[in-house]
Amino acid sequence: VKEFVALSTRDRIRAIRDLAMSFEEKKHIRWVLTDKQLNLYCYTCNKLHSQSLRRCGYSIRSARQTLELWQGIMKEIGGKFGTSVLSYFLFLKWLLMFNIFSFLINFGFITIPLLVYDPSPNIPPNVSFRGLEILTGAGYFNYTVMYYGGYSNETLIGLVDYNMQLAYFFTIAVYMVLCGIALIFSMASSFKENYVLADTVSNSAWQLLCSWDFSITNERAVRQRKNNLRVQLKESLSERAQRELLTLSEKLKHFGVHLGSWLLSTGLAVGCGASIYYLYAANWSLLQEAETLLVPFVVSLMNLVVPLFYSLFNKFEHYSSLGRQIYALVVRNVLLKMSILAVLCYYWMNVVAEKFSCWESMVGQALYRLVIVDFLFLMLGSFFGEFLSNVIGTRLLPRLGVPEFDVARNVLELIYAQTLAWIGIYFSPLLPAIQILKFFILFYLKKVSLTQNCQPPRRTGRAAQMQTIFIALLFFPFFVGALSIVAYTAWRYEDMTCFDHYKLLCHTSSLESKKIITFRTKL
Amino acid sequence: MGNKQTIFTAQQLDAYQDCTYFTRKEILRLFDRYRDLAPQLVPLDYTNHPDVKLPYELIGSMPELKDNPFRQRIAEVFSEDGEGNMTLDDFLDMFSVLSEMAPRDLKASYAFKIYDFNNDDFICKSDLEKTLNRLTRNELTEDEVRMVCEKVIDEADLDNDGRLSLEDFQHMIVRAPDFLSTFHIRI
Repeated sequence: VKEFVALSTRDRIRAIRDLAMSFEEKKHIRWVLTDKQLNLYCYTCNKLHSQSLRRCGYSIRSARQTLELWQGIMKEIGGKFGTSVLSYFLFLKWLLMFNIFSFLINFGFITIPLLVYDPSPNIPPNVSFRGLEILTGAGYFNYTVMYYGGYSNETLIGLVDYNMQLAYFFTIAVYMVLCGIALIFSMASSFKENYVLADTVSNSAWQLLCSWDFSITNERAVRQRKNNLRVQLKESLSERAQRELLTLSEKLKHFGVHLGSWLLSTGLAVGCGASIYYLYAANWSLLQEAETLLVPFVVSLMNLVVPLFYSLFNKFEHYSSLGRQIYALVVRNVLLKMSILAVLCYYWMNVVAEKFSCWESMVGQALYRLVIVDFLFLMLGSFFGEFLSNVIGTRLLPRLGVPEFDVARNVLELIYAQTLAWIGIYFSPLLPAIQILKFFILFYLKKVSLTQNCQPPRRTGRAAQMQTIFIALLFFPFFVGALSIVAYTAWRYEDMTCFDHYKLLCHTSSLESKKIITFRTKL
Repeated sequence: MGNKQTIFTAQQLDAYQDCTYFTRKEILRLFDRYRDLAPQLVPLDYTNHPDVKLPYELIGSMPELKDNPFRQRIAEVFSEDGEGNMTLDDFLDMFSVLSEMAPRDLKASYAFKIYDFNNDDFICKSDLEKTLNRLTRNELTEDEVRMVCEKVIDEADLDNDGRLSLEDFQHMIVRAPDFLSTFHIRI
């Protein structure tokens, strides 16, 4: 108690809370420290002041809690499936917050000044809204504030002189920097708390005393966990009885299989990248607008199908621990996604930027299409990955059983989707709005799919480490990649010649303008 | 400021907010949960500090606890009389320690108390055997139970006295990063 007197009030409160004593004793200590304080003068007003400050802090905390989203659903998922599956949904909610913040500042600082200054969009008379725009993002949307081309680079004269060019650049830069800081903080704190070098999962003491998940509240889930624990304990006991000794030829064989799998996976990733490049380069004929969906379709199809091949390779390989298996799978998936994104960005920066003058809007449209088609494929993937697996596992091949929720694959899909949004912010400032809608619907979709089709995971104990890995992956390479693309674009192509391009079109002859419109909407 | 409530005095609420990790709203919500267990026993006015204890059977029937294999130990550790009969203060204390805001050391010391069935401040072999039986539905053979307990003591006992002290346990917890999220009950 004596050492508490020396602390400041806030530290004292924290120290009292952290005491492992009964409530009565804590209240007694608190009373001893606050009421029996030997303050010299202004004792009552000092006490009231600190107390009112604390009350203020508590009410702020309380208010922040009312804004918490989806508390009830998180509790339900955590109670039935445990903390590792819950970590996916918490990650989704966290990414949603990034997008809400981005949308608010983009809308507030970039779009609203333009709308206030010039509320009617200048749309040429022969372009009207058809339903196809929602998928392709071209046509009608091209002339609105959705893309880079819809913004002017003048200084808006109104109540204040608002320099639009500076505001555009500055808002996006500030947002990216704040994102980076938030990511670094959470990565550092996650690393500090969660990353442990020794693999304790096979440790019996850990399994018995630290692994039980107290938050599970479903009777069937509890029974299942108990069974799993029993199986794991029996496994670790039998491992102790006979240690596996591999002969040299077996080791060589394992090494050969590993090497082969890695070569195949890297080859697949590179092949996907190359094929997307050639698909883009070859798509030069004047086709209809719906053809522009071909490239996003192929990209999303690759993202859906190739990881299944990777899981297949995984089954043939032999890993010494489950951790290494998951890491290998994650690294391969990351390589695939990064190679696809790298090829797309290279194509946009080098080929599209040279050929067209208003290339930023086109890249914005391309990214919009990627985001929408990715969303459709995520829904399809959920249908095939979980619903069909459940049907196959229960009716057709009962040996497989009910599927588990694959947290790693789903989190990587989320990271990829967020990277698309981060790259797209510069070219299409309102893309975060689409992303918010996408994540919102995805949350409910995954929750329904999870509760209907999946069972709780059999092997536990990696949630915290995997969480650290995922945050680290989100930051580097994906966020850093997106940031460097945006920075490179802003630095190299600083002239905003794209603005008011619709005015140019209106002044040319009708035939020429028609050709230009169809040519431009090809990408 | 805030809603008018007549259950607690302002000083009582301050004391609760200072001694637990809950906000005012959560404390009132937890009071409602406590009262829902036995509306006829729990008065609506706590300003004159009534002495009300809910028996263990009611606490153990809460949906958050009823399937937990350690619910009886949890109630015993957090109750004043050591039998599982909880006052409102004990109730709030329990959920505060089990909430996500409690620090690792605090959770570790309470987890230690929960696994220490005979309350001798050490987790000895018989405590481990009881823990194992709670967690595996008595389906391991006696030999297996003995082997697992021996393995646990081998791995975790650092001062080699054949039983786990609080320091041994905390040393093990430090190397288990998932503990913070698994030793957590949402309410």
